[in-house]
Amino acid sequence: MKLDFSIVFPYLPMFFKGAKATIEASILAILIGLAIGTIVGVGRVIPLKPINFIAWLYVYVIRGTPLLVQLFMIYFGLPSIGVELEAFTAGVIGLGINSGGYVAEIVRGGIEAVPKGQLEAAKVLGLSYIQTMWHIVLPQAIRNMLPALGNEFITLVKESSLLSTLAITELTMVGQQVRSVTFASFEVFIVVALIYLVITTAVSTLVRYIERKWQVR
Amino acid sequence: METLRAVNVSKSYGKLQVLKGINLSVKKGEVLSIIGPSGSGKSTLLRCLCGLESIDSGEIYINDEPLIADRFSHRHLATKIGMIFQSFNLFPHMTSLENVMLAPMKVKGLSKRKAEKLAKELLIRVGLGDKINYRPSQLSGGQQQRVAIARALAMQPDIMLFDEPTSALDPELVGEVLEVIAQLAKEGMTMIIVTHEMLFAKEISNRVIFMDEGSIIEEGSPQEIFVNPSNPRTRAFLRRLLPHFGSSLIEGEKENEVRL
Repeated sequence: MKLDFSIVFPYLPMFFKGAKATIEASILAILIGLAIGTIVGVGRVIPLKPINFIAWLYVYVIRGTPLLVQLFMIYFGLPSIGVELEAFTAGVIGLGINSGGYVAEIVRGGIEAVPKGQLEAAKVLGLSYIQTMWHIVLPQAIRNMLPALGNEFITLVKESSLLSTLAITELTMVGQQVRSVTFASFEVFIVVALIYLVITTAVSTLVRYIERKWQVR
Repeated sequence: METLRAVNVSKSYGKLQVLKGINLSVKKGEVLSIIGPSGSGKSTLLRCLCGLESIDSGEIYINDEPLIADRFSHRHLATKIGMIFQSFNLFPHMTSLENVMLAPMKVKGLSKRKAEKLAKELLIRVGLGDKINYRPSQLSGGQQQRVAIARALAMQPDIMLFDEPTSALDPELVGEVLEVIAQLAKEGMTMIIVTHEMLFAKEISNRVIFMDEGSIIEEGSPQEIFVNPSNPRTRAFLRRLLPHFGSSLIEGEKENEVRL
């Protein structure tokens, strides 16, 4: 058997369009996930029991159920209670909500990694809880979180392939479309995989750059 | 006037009673050292005095004002009490200068310029005028502890509490920190020092307390405690720490014969 990539070349513009959708969906979902994750992660550690519980429940449910099921609930389920979303919107929201659960745990870990002694020093110096969070804990927590966040972003880019099940023409969906007309399954998905690799490499390079820049010298 | 007074302070962790009715007072300008074996409740006592731990019963007064957790906010307390920790607890993402400037700006509302001027003066005072832009990771333990002292002084507290300030230091770095503390004492700062540096405690203190198992066993002048303690537990403790302690008692040697 021989691989013939020339069959795929005419479809490259389609692949790039799909890649663009994947990148757009990923960036939007990462932003939603960061926002939700920061709020929920802080909610896990603040000294307020009811908030702790809600935040814990969020993480528990999100991490304990499949992303695919969450996406189906948002896209196919919500219309039955009158909330109809466009496929792309539903997909981005679903990815973001899902990522938020994982980011929350990263945020919590980052915050808890700041040594307790520093919190005590801040308390004795008279800093309020919010001042301590803002000036002492979060600047260090963000640095602690970066490697894990990088992983999470990469995971999210890859999981965005599930959006193809909502008929969104992102990269994986384009792959399926091109395969169905060319029947060059292996070639098509090798190209798809390579494009994912380029995107995830870009993400990890960016995260590593930020890590180096923010390092405590 | 008494800067700090503790009346019948008790504290338990679960079933373990760590403080059993502690009474102590420190007058303005006085230096009080607390010695005793580890686990005797010395550190817990200091943590209660600075409001880091709540007490189960008893009262604590700062300048004759009662210290009650909810009424006496940490913001208010910070201008009365400075605390120095065994592990320095500097903020690692900030320079020495920023470490010292933070609380005066955020808690006392000093302008950035005033806070910077104050911080520079204090860092010079602890001998680190050339290290103001260094981060804690670039400083030795002794230097870090001196930054921590400058940071506490920046809130201009009425009393400074030292919780084993040199225990985490390499032996050769202990001296520079003790020197700074001795200088503060000379300048009239009111202080309570929990320490295992017996010679230092003896030289610097006006009064010494020996604690064991959550109680004050003996209290007196450095002379009384280190040279002629009346309690057998104090004697046993000092004998363990000061090898020549027993012989100096027997031979009736002068206090300056007591050596580590």
